[in-house]
This record gives sequence, C-alpha cells and structure tokens, in this order.
Amino acid sequence: MNRFFGNKKAIALFILPAMVLFTALVFYPVLQVLFRSFYDWDGLGKGIFIGVDNYIKIFDDTIFKTAVKNGLIFAAIITVYQIGIGSILAFAVSNVRIKGRNFFRIVYFLPVVLSVTVVCQLWLNVFNTEFGLLNKLMEVVGIDFRQSWLDDRYKAIYVLAFVNAWHYVGYQFALLLAGIKSIPSTYYEAAKIDGASSFLAHIKITIPMLSETYKFCLVMSITGGLNAFTQMYIMTGGGPGTSTYTLTFLMYRSAFQTYQYGYGMTAATILVIECLVATILINKLIARKHITY
Amino acid sequence: MKNYAKRLLALLLVTLMVFSLVACNDEVDDAATTSPDTGTVADVADADSDSNADMTEEKITLTIYAQYSDEDTKVPYDYAVAELAKEYPNVELELIVQAQDDGLTIQTYAATGDLPDIFQVGLAQINAFKESGNILVLDDYVESTGFGEALVPSATNLLWNEDGHAYAFPYAGNELVLLFYNKAVFAANGVEVPETYEDLVNAIEVFNANDIVPLSIFAKEGWITTALYDVFATRMAPEGIVALDNGTALASDGAYLEAAERLEELVDLGLVAEGATNMNYDQAASLFYEGGAAMFLNGQWEIQGSTDALGDDVDWMWYPVYSENSEAAHALSGGGAPGGYAVSPYSEHVDLAAEVAAFISQKYCEAKFLYRANPLLACKVAEGLEPEVAFPPMMEKLAAELNNITSTTVFSWGLNNPIFKVTLEEQSQFLLTRGYTAAEFVVEMDKAIEADQ
Amino acid sequence: MKKKYSLSNILYKVFLWSYGLFSLYPLIWMLFYSFKNNDEIFISNPFGPPLIFHIENYVNAWTVYNVPRYFFNSLVVSVFTVIMTISVALIFSYATARMRWKFSGVARIYVSIGMFIPVQAILIPLAIIVRDLNLNNEYLSLILPYTAFNLAFSSMVFYGFLRSLPVELEEAACIDGASIYRTFFSIIIPTVKPAIATMIIFTFLQAWNEFPIALVLMTKENMKTLPLGLLFFQGRFTTDWGAMGATMVMASLPTVLLYTIFSNQVEKAMTISGAVKG
Repeated sequence: MNRFFGNKKAIALFILPAMVLFTALVFYPVLQVLFRSFYDWDGLGKGIFIGVDNYIKIFDDTIFKTAVKNGLIFAAIITVYQIGIGSILAFAVSNVRIKGRNFFRIVYFLPVVLSVTVVCQLWLNVFNTEFGLLNKLMEVVGIDFRQSWLDDRYKAIYVLAFVNAWHYVGYQFALLLAGIKSIPSTYYEAAKIDGASSFLAHIKITIPMLSETYKFCLVMSITGGLNAFTQMYIMTGGGPGTSTYTLTFLMYRSAFQTYQYGYGMTAATILVIECLVATILINKLIARKHITY
Repeated sequence: MKNYAKRLLALLLVTLMVFSLVACNDEVDDAATTSPDTGTVADVADADSDSNADMTEEKITLTIYAQYSDEDTKVPYDYAVAELAKEYPNVELELIVQAQDDGLTIQTYAATGDLPDIFQVGLAQINAFKESGNILVLDDYVESTGFGEALVPSATNLLWNEDGHAYAFPYAGNELVLLFYNKAVFAANGVEVPETYEDLVNAIEVFNANDIVPLSIFAKEGWITTALYDVFATRMAPEGIVALDNGTALASDGAYLEAAERLEELVDLGLVAEGATNMNYDQAASLFYEGGAAMFLNGQWEIQGSTDALGDDVDWMWYPVYSENSEAAHALSGGGAPGGYAVSPYSEHVDLAAEVAAFISQKYCEAKFLYRANPLLACKVAEGLEPEVAFPPMMEKLAAELNNITSTTVFSWGLNNPIFKVTLEEQSQFLLTRGYTAAEFVVEMDKAIEADQ
Repeated sequence: MKKKYSLSNILYKVFLWSYGLFSLYPLIWMLFYSFKNNDEIFISNPFGPPLIFHIENYVNAWTVYNVPRYFFNSLVVSVFTVIMTISVALIFSYATARMRWKFSGVARIYVSIGMFIPVQAILIPLAIIVRDLNLNNEYLSLILPYTAFNLAFSSMVFYGFLRSLPVELEEAACIDGASIYRTFFSIIIPTVKPAIATMIIFTFLQAWNEFPIALVLMTKENMKTLPLGLLFFQGRFTTDWGAMGATMVMASLPTVLLYTIFSNQVEKAMTISGAVKG
C-alpha cells in the first residue's frame, strides 16, 4: 500500500501541472506585488526603493482605516448570512419529502449565475432613494422609514455586504447540499429512530460530519469579504465620499487613479496577510475531525 | 464522465453551429493587419495629404484607443473615420473602445509596452506617461501637420503643456460648467432667478416646501461634485481649484474653507435630492427634464439635450454671488487643459500615427461643429461649413457672452496632481451627503495637497 | 402526522417559498428590463412588466453590437478553462489528499493562497508574463490565467471530497494489481463525479463572468468576451440599458442551462456512489 501511495513518479506527474501554472501565473506576480510595496513607483518608470515608508504612511491614512473596518464588517455579514441561510436552505432541499425541492434547488442557486453587473444594477434600483422599490414599498405599507440607503456614510457598507451575501449564498448552498448528499442515509435513519426532529438531526449529524466543508465555506466567505471590490466599484464607487472603501478598492485607487502603484501594492500586501491570518485562525480553531464511515 | 462529456459536446456543437453562421460574416481580414516594411511607411508619410496615394500600396492598420459610447463620442469618431478613408485610403483604424475604468487599461498597456498607436489622454495621464517615456513629444508634428495653424488662438493652452511641449492633439475647446434652470418651474413657484447666495437660500426653501428638488446633480460622478465645489470656490477666488492643484493655496484658506462651509450649509437646507450621490446622469437629467428639479449642473454640452427636452423653458444663469463679492458674477468653472489624441513612441509607424492623430482631432472639431451644435472647439472649422441645424438659443446666448466671462478654472480631468484630483472628487461628493462637515473635508483635502509637496 | 402542521413547520415552509421568490425575482426583473427603454427602466416603470415590448433591444444587441462573436469567444474560453482546471486540479488534489509524501501539506497550502489574491493586484505583473509568453490576444492568454486562478478553489473542494473517501477504495484495486493510474481513472474519477459536476458549474461561471483580466489581455475586437461586450453599452453619461439588458439575458442563458443540467447530475451521481459505498 505504501508503495502504491508513495509512487514518486506518479506524484510528480500529478502535481507538476498545477505547481507550474500556479507558480508562474499567480505566485510569481504576488512576489512582484510584495517587492513593489517597498517602492515609490508610479507603475511605469523606474521607481525608488523606500523601505517601509509606504507601510508607515498607510497606517496614517484615513481611507486605510475605513477600508480595514469595512472589510471586517463585510466579512462578518456575508459569513453569517451565507453560512446561516445557506445551511437552512441546503437542509431543506436535502429532505426528499419536501415538495418542490427540484424547483428550490434551481431557484436558490440562480442569483449566482447572474453576472455581477446585473445583480448590482438590480439592487441599485431597489435601494434608490427616489424611485427605489424598497422606499416605495414602505410608502405603500405606510411605514415612515424612507431612507437614503446608499447615500448614507454609515449604512452603505451594510447594504453592499447584503448584496454580496445574497448574490453568492448559492455557492455555499450548493457545496453544503453536495456534502449532505454524500453522508450515507443510514446516519439519519439511526437518528430518526431516536426520535430527533429533522432539523435537530442536521445539527447533530450534518454539521459535525461536514466540518471540512464548513471550514471551507468559512474561509471562502471571510476571505471573500475582506477582498470585496466589485459591489463598491459598480454600486457606490467607494462613496459616498470614501465611506465604502475596502483594501482592494484602496489598492485600485492607488495603482490606477493616483499613480502610486507602490503604495497600492502595500495595501494589497496587507490584504494578503489579513487573509492568511484569517485562514490560519480558522484552521486552528476548527480542529479537523476525520470522518470515518 | 462520459455523460458530462457528451452533454458538453452536444451543447458546444449546437452553439458552434449557430455561431459559425453569424460569426463568419464578421471575420476581419487578418492579412490586412500584418505590417508592411518600413519603406512603405515612409512613402505613405511623404505622400502626406495629397490623397492620391497609390492604391496598390499595402494597407496600414493603426490601433486607436478612443471613447466610443454615446452620440457625443460616436458621431465625431465615425465622421473622422469616413474623412480619413478619403484622405488616407491606405490607412485603416482598428478601434479599441475606451473602458470606463479610470485609466486601468491604458496604464496596463503602457506597463506591458502594448500601447495602441493612437490613444486619448487627459492631463494626469500625460504627466505620468511623459515621465516614463510612454508618450510621444509632438512638438515637430504641430508644424509639419499644420495642426498649429488650425488651432484656435484661445486654445493654445490645450495643446501646449506647462513644460512647453505638446503631447496630445486637442479637439474639445475650453468648455464650461453651466448652471441650467427650468424657467417654468421657477415661475410656477414664484421664484426669481437667484443672483446672490441669499436669493439661493430663499429659492431652496421655497422649492423644498413645494416638493421640488432645487438642484439636480449626478453626484455619483466625482467630476461634477468637484465642479460644484469649484463653483463655490470661485465666488471668492476666481482661480478656483486650480490654486489648490498647484499647491499655492490650501483648503483651509479663507475662500476654500468658506466654499466648503457654505456648501455644507446648503446641503443641510436641502440643496440636492436625497440620494443624490448615487444618481447617474440618466436619473439626474430626467429629474430635471420632467420638472422635478429647478436647476441642473452640467457642462455646456448639455445645451442640446436640455433644449430637446424642455424647449423654451430652459436657460442657463450666471452662478449666484456672495453679496460681499459681486465681482465674481462672471467667473465660471470649467475651462480647458492639455489632452486629446496622443501617440505611442513605440508605434511602428510613428510619423504616420502622429499625422493621423492630428487629422482625426481636426475632424472631431468639424463633426462637433456640424452635428453636435458645439462651437467651443480646439481647431478652426473650414470656412463654408454650416451646422446641420441652427444652434439653440442657449448656445447663441453663450456665444454672445463669451467675451464677458472674466475667468475660468478647469474640469477635474484637467487637474495636474492625481492625488489631489481623486481626493477632491471623493471629498466633494462626501460634502453632498448630510452629516459630513466642512471641517472633515478640509482636513482630508489639506493632507492630499501637502502629500505632493 | 401531527408534527406536519405545527407552527414552526409552517413558518419553515413560508420561509423556503419566500426565499425562493426572493432569489427568482431578479431573473424576472432582468427579463422585463431587457424589453424596456431607458425611461421605463429608471423612471416610469422600474419594477413591473414592460408596457411596450421593445424587441429591438435584442435585435440591436445581436446585430449592432457584435454580440454573437463575443458569445462564441466566451464559450471557447469557458469550456477550455473548465476542462483544464478540472483535470489539473483533480490530479493535484489526488496527490495531496491521498498519496503519501513529505510536502503534500505544504503544496496544498501553497496553492490555496490563490483563494484570496485580488485579481486587480497582480494584473500588471500577470499581463507582462502573458506578453512574454507571446500569448496576447490568443484564447490561451485567458484560459491559462483562469485555470491558475481557479486551481485554488477547485483543489480545495476536491481535497475535501477525496479526504472523505475510505482508504479501502484503493486497497482493493491495489491488491488486484492495478496501477495507480488505472485506479485513478477507473475508481476515483467515477466516485468523485458529484464534485466534478459541482466544479464544472463553478468554474464555468467564473470564466464566463470574469472581467478584469479579459479587459487588459483581450484588446482585439474579434477576441473579446461577453463581459467586455457589455462595456459597449456604457457611455460616459448615457447608456443603452435596454440592449444591455437583452445581452445580459442572452449571457445568462448558458449558465442557467448548465446549472440545471449539472445540478441534476450531482443528485443522480450521489445516489449511484451511495449505492456503491453502501
């Protein structure tokens, strides 16, 4: 068996394509990013090595502070929403006796297939202060809760986080559903005999059995949240003012709008470090459980 | 696996069949894009505009990165291409449509050495590109192409950079920020056209009481919020944001601090619609066109659109003045800055590209004059050409008043310092939200201005 | 039986249905949108069905804006990205999840870094490499970076799946004297079908909708993909939103179709592999 699993030639053959592609097209550019974060460089000319000056400067930048805070808010909201609602939906659809489960299975995933432009455009229309669906609905219902949703420096980031959470909840849903499907039904049958209600059965069986999947979902939503960019880019342009900036947006602004490419790469480096730390923490906190059948 | 493969294959085949039917029609002849040897290039360049260039010569394709999205950009481009075909029958343009991405694409082209032969630039880009040698110095071509002679005397500032060199052939003239208003809405609410700040405050209060938005503005775009701030800055300092851009003034200085404070005050009073910072042009314009707003801020190119929508009900006004400085009445925001069609120094056909760039810029002016009711141009238009339709009354009025304008500033795309430009766009938008204070604005602006010193 | 009508059960059902509507509405909205003109979209009727059907939006999108060509390009790029990503990621994950070697953990974590690199950050270095490889304006100039970027995600998913398989699976084959390659193709691949189906959907979606890389690497009109095509509709001040909506509807069709086909496969494959395991 050891010779079978330790076949050096096979290992080399199996990992080589991935390693080469990844190193050349992702990792090497990342090294460039790190390298350039120590430069005063406009992205075009020669550039001057300035040591950690960019890092000192960035901690005094108001936008940087906003960006870090927004990244955390964003990550927290989409994690709670996507994993919470994603689980509930996946539990429901995995139940063979639920009526219309085929319909649900397709419909819950649908937002994911839409392009991000479409989704942002839709929610822009919903949240529009003057003509938006939400404010109109409130008028109809007679609640005096009319708001400028995306025009408010404190509220806008939550709205954007919601849009992202809603758009991609289908990913978590599909992953969890596939996971649940791979758990042998005997486990649930045993629980039924014990008289556990189906929801409780999921909490007792599904969640521990799928700890790997959950860990993965958690990494995906947290790093996705820290990385947020497109919703801001399309819906608010980082505004009003600078209130919906994230690190990626700050990087974009520095690299392509203000010609401080080196400074932008500093923001990018900090972002990568943030994501690494988050991933390591998740891995440490959720100890792996080996799943045995 | 077989199942998936089969399904995928079937999907692919069906789609391929559908597309091959359509796609084969628009295959571009790739052979045409292969570049001829340099000898031919020289010939073409020498042939100049004699237009009778030998038809047997190989075609030369130049790539061009240009805006091509709405009537104001499509009409001039199409016109220029048609004219080019007459004048330079063996030159073909391959258009790369400019992306709405704040220059990301063009900067990546520059970084990878893939700059198109001809590309549109603004001032901040010129400054960045000239330092790294990614933009051709056009000084010699101004003479050789005759562009210098075609240039309107008042537009020399658009061609020549502060450092004394020319980097791009301009086509747009010194354009202006105008404050449009709906005469019918003013009359229906019994409001006089405001001449002073106090009048303006009064107007805002009356309009708000009658559920009319006083000023419609597409504040999602930073350049227009910059213009609005500039309007207020010019009430005390006619050079407006230009002085901040040069670093000769700070946002905490008198005129600029006051501009921020007055703007904050008016926003609190309800100058702009709730949610204004998230309004795009379509939304803000229709708010004005449908009578939901009394005033509208935009460049003078809005004249045609507003006239089409509102007819005789629309006019433009001089910006209201502070009562302590009535001299500012004819100081306007807007103006011109170097920009236009630039040429890549790495182009295989540098001379030809420069010549074509100059040619196209001139044809843009013609097209804007003929079809876009726009006389504010960088180049003279050939005599005998008459606009397709007569200029709207607002344009006649503007033309008549041009000499009474005491000063102009710049649009945000004419600002020199990119850090200042971006910060001002963000911060002026911020000022239009309730609860953002002039004090916060001033701190951030001063930081940006000083960062460059 | 009593339980079926309990309050919590009813609330649960209500939630499932309303969330379904909540997810479905945008698609309907987009369909409405694609038949409207700018005025209806923004001012007079943003949410309801179109009052006048502007079919010309579709005609314009298809004939004026070169959409067929973009569609074709997107299809080629996406299909090959899917094929490459899944093959490369699957063998890589097999080596890291099941085979025994010293640095398997390191290699896995190394590749998973790709999960959280913002594409915009590495755009310029990436563009330079693609140019050095002489791939500009070739389909490969998108397929290779897309594959590299999707590797992290798909490797993590495959890893999770492969880890949960019992060792006995290969043991039996090994005792029968099958080589590792044969075992991989005849035993592992059929077993992870659900994961493959899932990843086909995910990878295709990523490639189909990707924007920033395509923007800088595909400059030739003939090579552009659909998301770039959408740019045509956006002006500095005005946009042909209706034609854009029509293009978005057409652009969404293949992905909806793909999901419907393959999510069904996930389900079917599950029951098969379950039977094998049982």
